[in-house]
Amino acid sequence: MKYLIAFLALIAPASAVLGNQVALDSEVFVERSEEQADGSVTVTLEEPTRVVPGDNLLFVLTYENTGAEAAENFVVTNPMPEAVVFVEEIDGGARYSVDGGTVFGALAELRIASEDGVERNAQPADVTHIRWTLTEPIPAGASGQLKFRGVVR
Amino acid sequence: MSLGKRQHLRFIALHAPLLLAALSPVCLASQAQAAGTLAGTSIENTATASYDDGGTTVTVDSNTVSLIVDEILDIAVNWDDPGDVSVRPGELDAVLKFTVTNGGNGPEPAILGIDSNIASDAFDPTAVTMFIDTDDNGVYDVGTDTLYSPATPPTLAPDASITVFLLGDIPASTADGERSEVELTATAATGSGTPGTVFAGQGEGGGDAVVGSTGATADDSGFYAVVDAALDLTKTATVLDPFGGATQVPGAIITYRLTAETTGSGALDNVVITDAIPADTTYVDESITLDSTGLTDTADADAGTYDGSGIAVTLGTVAGGTTNIIEFQVVID
Repeated sequence: MKYLIAFLALIAPASAVLGNQVALDSEVFVERSEEQADGSVTVTLEEPTRVVPGDNLLFVLTYENTGAEAAENFVVTNPMPEAVVFVEEIDGGARYSVDGGTVFGALAELRIASEDGVERNAQPADVTHIRWTLTEPIPAGASGQLKFRGVVR
Repeated sequence: MSLGKRQHLRFIALHAPLLLAALSPVCLASQAQAAGTLAGTSIENTATASYDDGGTTVTVDSNTVSLIVDEILDIAVNWDDPGDVSVRPGELDAVLKFTVTNGGNGPEPAILGIDSNIASDAFDPTAVTMFIDTDDNGVYDVGTDTLYSPATPPTLAPDASITVFLLGDIPASTADGERSEVELTATAATGSGTPGTVFAGQGEGGGDAVVGSTGATADDSGFYAVVDAALDLTKTATVLDPFGGATQVPGAIITYRLTAETTGSGALDNVVITDAIPADTTYVDESITLDSTGLTDTADADAGTYDGSGIAVTLGTVAGGTTNIIEFQVVID
């Protein structure tokens, strides 16, 4: 019996992984732009060992359907880290929340109640959550990336 | 939303120049936020996905990426006096006021230094000391504000400022209109240098410390201007004898004129002009005039007095460029 419990403990996480047909991977890069001698600007991406306020970050989410079946109604939500100001989403099609994840919509449709009680249009800096909803199922074996930019406050 | 195949980061790098225009206003905005996220803060990013797997909704979290915010070292110095600080020759502890600001995102001690020996100015103050405005009232308070010690430099919180007073003695040999430049330098104790220089492991919270755009050192100059004044006093006499001539005979009236000319850009305080009545003459009562206006002999509201042996006219504070004319009369005995 003792051995059985140990065995179950071992397979429990493994079965959870098997059930996760779609894997989601998060990466963050720092974009450093450097002006070259000829006046052109080269942008390099680094996996940061350190960041400082003002650094431009590129967030890359990679999803991959490792299962045998298509995954439908795929929705990815990324809450903005508190110390990062949202700048832009790269491929388009994301919806945003400016109220901590309750209401999602196009940024132009969202309003913010400012301190003096007057509403104003939401700005990128107001974004608290980004959400992508894929309209098509992810076929088995397919993968893709979702990207957005932010700046360290 | 395209469902494109996995894109490589090279793709992004190639297209990055196109995106620069969109990025640059953001860079400006982030610089406008003063100190930014505190050094040592952890930035963690986790995304969550959900999808339908044959009728069941499955939720999956991504891995969590953790980044630590390093310490930026930035220092600013500003001379706060509205203009040259007026001093007098020989004045002690003349005060110049500066602000030192920590523009970084971690608490940082500021090492202060003075250069009072600037070559291009007219004089150098002596015995220059630095005091920290301990009670933060913007005014130097003897006995309250703390003498700066290099062994215990003041530590500034992120975005915080301190007021630093420079106290210098003005040499007695200085002349009206001479200026002196004194420079205050403040440097982050962790280090300074070319922006981007990294001091590994020396940042707040165990991360690195990175030199910010100011180079983590800054200076500004304050100025003293000597404001002095001098008084030239000239005395002339006019004699009118009883016969309409100018002979000095008994009964002749002598009118003394004292011309007090104040020169310089400063002012003189408590100026009193006195003159004794000469022997063998008698003062003509109520004969004092100041700038052609009669003054009474008694000590009262007006500036003139006669005390039985001499006259006195109290001018008080006289600005440079003023000329006062005092006249009084005596009769030869």
